[in-house]
Amino acid sequence: MNTRTLSVLLMAAIGLLLVPGARAADDGAQTMRVLASEGEGQSTEAAASDKDAQGTNPAAEAAGDGKRDRDSCNAPSKDCVAVGHWNFSISIGAGVRTDPIVHEAAIPLVVIPHFSYYGKRIFIEDLDFGFTLLESDASTLSLIATPGYDRVFFDRSDPQNIFVSGLSYTTVDAPQLKSVPGGPRDWTYLAGPEWTFETHGITGQLDLLHEVTTRNHGNEVRAALGIPLIESKGALSANVGLTWKSSAIVRYYYGVPGAYEGGWALNPFVKLGYARPLSGKWRLTAFVHYEHLGNAIADSPIVNARYVLTVFAGATYAF
Amino acid sequence: MACRRLAGAIGILLAMGWMQTAAGASGVSSKAIRLEISPRLCTLAARDKQCDVVVHASWSAPREESLCLVLLGRPQIKRCWEDYASGRYTLRLEFAQDLTFQLRDPSLRNVLASEVLRVLREALQYRHRRRQPWNIFD
Repeated sequence: MNTRTLSVLLMAAIGLLLVPGARAADDGAQTMRVLASEGEGQSTEAAASDKDAQGTNPAAEAAGDGKRDRDSCNAPSKDCVAVGHWNFSISIGAGVRTDPIVHEAAIPLVVIPHFSYYGKRIFIEDLDFGFTLLESDASTLSLIATPGYDRVFFDRSDPQNIFVSGLSYTTVDAPQLKSVPGGPRDWTYLAGPEWTFETHGITGQLDLLHEVTTRNHGNEVRAALGIPLIESKGALSANVGLTWKSSAIVRYYYGVPGAYEGGWALNPFVKLGYARPLSGKWRLTAFVHYEHLGNAIADSPIVNARYVLTVFAGATYAF
Repeated sequence: MACRRLAGAIGILLAMGWMQTAAGASGVSSKAIRLEISPRLCTLAARDKQCDVVVHASWSAPREESLCLVLLGRPQIKRCWEDYASGRYTLRLEFAQDLTFQLRDPSLRNVLASEVLRVLREALQYRHRRRQPWNIFD
């Protein structure tokens, strides 16, 4: 990654950090809505004074008086989840993810399932597992295990391609990149501590990971900030972050024996996302995610792009 | 002494008469006006964020009355009747907290009857969902 690109991304991140002050104040969520109404009066004389009757408009809405306490979990919400229950959702839409590996076509995004489970301490988020050591309203410290990310570009049957890229990717009848030199690039898992926090509406995540499936013994650092930009009926947010991969991981995935080894790589990313509740359990989801590949990856002879771009727009249904 | 007691008794009688007249002037007597709502309870399961129910409110009085049905704290929801002995009102509501239905006189000052539709949440423990801004789909 060149210095100019990094400085631009850092400036963008700093600029985004200054934006939350402009967020719309919209904490007073609606707590009641009149959907339809009908009235009836029974009398032997005069008709009911309908001219005075209000609240009969099916679209009439009442402004709520319950300001949710953002720092406590006592009801289901975007940030809080019930302990001991499975959660399932599915995203359906249209999108694409570029694949930087030579001769490889872009990955279509159509159907993307998600599931999660939260116990008092443990949690499962798709293919991630975790055990929470400390949890407060503002921060959480957990031990997590998560799959190695890079394999998605090399093997279309990788489980991450179900939960990250969608079912359509796995059903495409495509070669398994046997022509790509190097390998084998097996399924790997990384494990280590994860610290997440929230302050002034900004969420943060820092993962310090080590490869524990003894394929490459590499290390990886994942760091990101989630910054809400606009919160009204819809929510616009920006995420900025980076992934640092040790030379062992870069070599394992992007190395070519006898031709290219590569060193450590730093991949910064920026994402702009929009979500809006639709009727019932549906919500609109759209995002653009740009990840810049570090020089050690981009310079590999099996890589023909310096970035990975992911775009998706669709609807998510929560069961 | 006897004169004082007599004057006191007359005063009390006069005060009672004034109170009766004032109540009659409002045109509504709260005695025996009955308000019923159905359902009276909404139970939220783990996944439910709010109740979504059709609420039936009905009232009856021994004689014809003029009154209004309102939801406490929701001034835009009001249904009034003029010279009726009973009335019904049905509306579909989404709500997350207790709702108080009240029958009031036409001036909306005096509460004639009141019922509460209570929200009962399943006793569950909640915790923070994992924050993962690094995740592409978070």
